[in-house]
Amino acid sequence: MALSKKKARWLMARKGFFDMLPLNLAVLPWGILCGSLAVQRDFSALEAILMPLIVFAGSAQLVAIELIANNASLATILFTTFIISSRHFLYGLALRDKLKVLPTKWRYGLGFLLTDELFALSSHSKSFVGQLRLIYAVVAGGSFYVFWLLWNVAGVIAGSYLPDLTHLGLDFAIAVTFIALVIPTVINLPILVTVIVAAILSVVFKLMAFELDLVAAALIAMYCGYLTDRFQHKHKRVDKPDDNDSLDETHNESSSDNVTSKKHSSLSVEDKL
Amino acid sequence: MTLLTIVLMALITFTTRYLFIHPRLPVRLGAKMAKLLSFSAPAVLTAIWVPIIFVQQGELSVSLQNPYLISATLAVLTAAKTKSIYFTMFIGLITFVLSRYLLSV
Repeated sequence: MALSKKKARWLMARKGFFDMLPLNLAVLPWGILCGSLAVQRDFSALEAILMPLIVFAGSAQLVAIELIANNASLATILFTTFIISSRHFLYGLALRDKLKVLPTKWRYGLGFLLTDELFALSSHSKSFVGQLRLIYAVVAGGSFYVFWLLWNVAGVIAGSYLPDLTHLGLDFAIAVTFIALVIPTVINLPILVTVIVAAILSVVFKLMAFELDLVAAALIAMYCGYLTDRFQHKHKRVDKPDDNDSLDETHNESSSDNVTSKKHSSLSVEDKL
Repeated sequence: MTLLTIVLMALITFTTRYLFIHPRLPVRLGAKMAKLLSFSAPAVLTAIWVPIIFVQQGELSVSLQNPYLISATLAVLTAAKTKSIYFTMFIGLITFVLSRYLLSV
């Protein structure tokens, strides 16, 4: 029960590492692909490594490598990068109330590390709240950064020895990881509706070669999930007229979260584990 | 030139991640918005993985000849049943390698 502070920190760091490990491994083929493709498209080793080091993005890196190799205009490259990265606006918004109250250093650091993968591990209602959960997030996100860099460097080194990897079905590793992350979170009807709408629309938009396919599908799906939730609550209220409005509850909870994180209260590890 | 492009790209990816967690940005999220955003993880992650399964080379692929579909179906069932990341990945990847091999023979 009574854990020393040091021990609790160490346990949270370990948990962050092991929660992210499957994702770190799943992006191995993707990272090697990015690194080797850059070399094959005549990037210098420095340029190829600078990509994962400072751009730190999966699909944006791949697409940009092809665009740069094909001498696309700077505007095209930057615009495409922006479109592919625009889903991150949603992550920032979703985590805004938790992250905006952090000290500058943590905020910049976690902002930089806020990938699909870290966001996928941030769905706990108290994620990023309190020092222990921050350690968890930084270790999870940081290990993803290190592994991503490693796989890219491996790709740069293997570079021209590797055959063209683009049609080997390596993307399935990513798909199966996200399946493993999403499916267990489908615990009620609104989330089920969200997932089904996102699934159908993302495929339809992809087939239409719509550039904002991912973000558009996600936004509409979120709205459908939201409407389902409202609908359910309306019907509940007819049954039990004195039922509290759950929307107010969520609001109160998030504002009390902020207070807790400001105090940097240390939480018991059992709470999270 | 490539170096400059990479640096500008880095600025863009960082901005998309950081912008909305910046405290001085005049954005206040109401309860409704917070509820809406609570669906963002399942929505975005699903919109990333589903097209990988169903769209190949820009075309819809719904058939038992599609190893992605076979393995994803098993992975979804495993995830729903066990809720284990490692077990789901294990089953999914084994099925994928096997079905790719068997379908190509």
